[in-house]
Amino acid sequence: MIPALTYPLALIGLVALPTLAAIYFLRHKHRRQPVSSLLLWQHQLKSREGGAKLDRPRLPWIFFLELLILALLITAATGPRWQLPETTRPLIVILDDSASMLAGGEKDSARVRAEERLNALLRERKFHSVRLLLAGSKPRLAGPAVTEQKEIRAQLAQWTCRAPATAIESAIALASDLSKQQAEILVLTDRAPAHDDFADGRIRWFAFGRTTPNVAFVNAARTANGEQDRCLLELANHSAVPQSARLTLRAGTNTLHSGAVSIPAQSRERIILNLPAGTPAIEASLTDDALAADNRAWLASPSRRHVRVQLAIEDESLRTLLERTLESTGLRATQNADPELVLHTSLAGPMATNGWHVRLVNHTNSLAYTGPFVMDHAHPLARGLALDGVIWSAATITNAPGYLPVISAGDIPLLSARTDTLGRQQIVLNLEATASTLPTTPNWPVLFHNLLDWRLQEMPGLHERNFRLGQHVTFRAASTAVRWQPPEGVAKNLTPSGTLGAVALETDLIGLHRIIDNNITTEFAVNFLANDESDLAAAKTGEWGEWNRPEETRREYASVLWIFLLLALAGLGGHLRAVARSKGTA
Amino acid sequence: MPDRLRQSLVDGARLGQRYALPVPQHALAGAAGERLARRTGSSVDFQDYREYQPGDDTRTIDWSVYGRTDKLTVKLYRDEVTPHLDLLVDASRSMSLDATSKAASLWKLASIFATAADNSRCTHAVWLAGDGFRRLPNDTLPPPAWEIPDFDSARHLDDAFAILPPKCRRLGLRVLISDLLWPGDPLATLRRIANGAAEVFVIQLLARTDAEPPPPGNLRLEDSESGQVFDLYLDASGQQQYRDALVRHQESWRDACRQTGARFATVVAEQLEESLPTLTAAQILVPV
Repeated sequence: MIPALTYPLALIGLVALPTLAAIYFLRHKHRRQPVSSLLLWQHQLKSREGGAKLDRPRLPWIFFLELLILALLITAATGPRWQLPETTRPLIVILDDSASMLAGGEKDSARVRAEERLNALLRERKFHSVRLLLAGSKPRLAGPAVTEQKEIRAQLAQWTCRAPATAIESAIALASDLSKQQAEILVLTDRAPAHDDFADGRIRWFAFGRTTPNVAFVNAARTANGEQDRCLLELANHSAVPQSARLTLRAGTNTLHSGAVSIPAQSRERIILNLPAGTPAIEASLTDDALAADNRAWLASPSRRHVRVQLAIEDESLRTLLERTLESTGLRATQNADPELVLHTSLAGPMATNGWHVRLVNHTNSLAYTGPFVMDHAHPLARGLALDGVIWSAATITNAPGYLPVISAGDIPLLSARTDTLGRQQIVLNLEATASTLPTTPNWPVLFHNLLDWRLQEMPGLHERNFRLGQHVTFRAASTAVRWQPPEGVAKNLTPSGTLGAVALETDLIGLHRIIDNNITTEFAVNFLANDESDLAAAKTGEWGEWNRPEETRREYASVLWIFLLLALAGLGGHLRAVARSKGTA
Repeated sequence: MPDRLRQSLVDGARLGQRYALPVPQHALAGAAGERLARRTGSSVDFQDYREYQPGDDTRTIDWSVYGRTDKLTVKLYRDEVTPHLDLLVDASRSMSLDATSKAASLWKLASIFATAADNSRCTHAVWLAGDGFRRLPNDTLPPPAWEIPDFDSARHLDDAFAILPPKCRRLGLRVLISDLLWPGDPLATLRRIANGAAEVFVIQLLARTDAEPPPPGNLRLEDSESGQVFDLYLDASGQQQYRDALVRHQESWRDACRQTGARFATVVAEQLEESLPTLTAAQILVPV
């Protein structure tokens, strides 16, 4: 209700109300009337006794009519507008689903404060519908648009705040697309917006974060290094004062290390451990602080698998070069029976059931290319390659059907690959090694490391064992049924799909996960390791943006001034008629 | 007694000089007086002959008739009587209603009737109906000599009859002056008054505020007799209801008068002199 006091006409009308009442009170004060007898007033007495027990108003009904007319005029003077349901905007609430929303504990977290504010807002104002959008690493809808408070509460149960990042900008873009610029957007988070220029008047940004000291694991890795496992733990202190915490390392029930760690203000501390190969998964923990999710990290044993490689190359120099290169990767198995990767120079390579084929086109009538090289940087073989200054000598061949070029020079494919019907990769490397500088550059071992690493990733099982929360985990199954045991909750049976038997795992839970495939249990770890989320120094409380623009308000609220004026006119007509009638009677 | 009421008596006596009471023949009874009665008596007006009876006054024997007929015959003469008026005055508090001339008009009207009774060679008595009927002091004297008491009774006429009825003279005239505003059966009241009376006149004396409802608005009605208070908002319909109730009430009294042979008239206190022709038209008063 818009306050009437801000409208001069309404204010005058308000003054008229008590004035009218005073006039009537004075005019209709009871006159003393002595009568000889109440005998002739019996009809009045009887109607009083037979009616309601409460005293009827002793003012004439015309007074109430005048009062009503005045009230209608006062209301009309305020320019009343009705919030019409069909024009009321929907609300899209973007909920920061990142873990930092839980900083402070269950009862005093930003999430708790944000939910209370949301409930208060929903009580204050009506919306056509409410839609909840969870802004985790990727935005996702919590459900369909709802109107009932009960349905909203049900959808809010999905707001668990476990994500390692919040994609609020993406969520706002998604909300804008969903609403077609018609919905109000509310952001509930613990961070200030990157900018507070919400010029479109659609977004309100409420932040409920509090700056709190926090020591967190921000990096954790465990790699095989010969007969040892090399473990790296990186701790960060984002606060402006030095912090200390107790670090404990456990492998099963054995405590490997326990001691205090002091970290200067706004700096990091790295801890490197060398463990014997075969040490089971270790768990690192810090003393409790504001955010619990980043106080623990798990490191599963790294994979020590190798690729069985067969070299079917007659050229001795090239063969030697490749032998040395493959050895340098550290990923080649000592055996080459039942090869998983075959390198050859002939058109048709040796038979290999599961083997990938790499054909080296080693023509002598080749041309040297100095670039520019067109490279598919997203391809697994091209990771880390920098071909600037490289002389690549290659035969002038055309791309074979089905092969996708990974590296090319003009229309000459230098490196191309295709997937055959059995899911195996058929790779063609068009390189005259002796006439090229590529083997003498770091790109050469990198290329072969990429090759073997790619092959390892496509082999059954898990190549990587330690993941960050939110990272995709793809398990190559050897059997047709896989059982996944997450750290919390019940185990799940999964069915591999595709020719490679891949199973994609949604790892939204940190901790140690187990996968049982073909009676072999594989353990992998998922760690929070989100530096930005652990940085609670950037948390803010405040409100930014505004919804109600006057021109928008006019569109959402229809003026109902005419209704009040019509009613007042009807009342005036009735008043005139009543006055004329009473005069006629008198 | 206030001078205003005393002046009313004087004014009433002056007005009453113009009127007499319509004394009917059957009302000619009472003590020896100046008016010829229907019965035989001692006046000089011959009435009839009758055969002598032992015990008759021998002075009334008509000896000439005895000479002609040889029968003792006595002459009968008409009797001379003084008819009587009993004025029954409602002395309840409602008859001295505040801010009205009801009390003054009451005494003026009583004085008119007393004077008219004198003009008709009637005696009169004034009965005050309060806590029982009682005589007004000096009521047999001319009205200016009356001692008017305060009207302080909260009882209506029926109660006064029940407590102490008036000792009205038989075959006399009886005039009731009251506002008649009390609940009850008018016929029963009138039968009591008319019992033994030669003629009954009922004068309803109303104040203007009794005859006409007050203007519309919020009213606090105060019953002058019981003191009961009643707040109401009076509008046009309420006024009409009051008028209708008054008409119905007067009709009930008029019907009762018709049944008992009484005559009924209504007089507004503030318009008393203008209402006297009404009494004349109703043959309650006779111009002299």
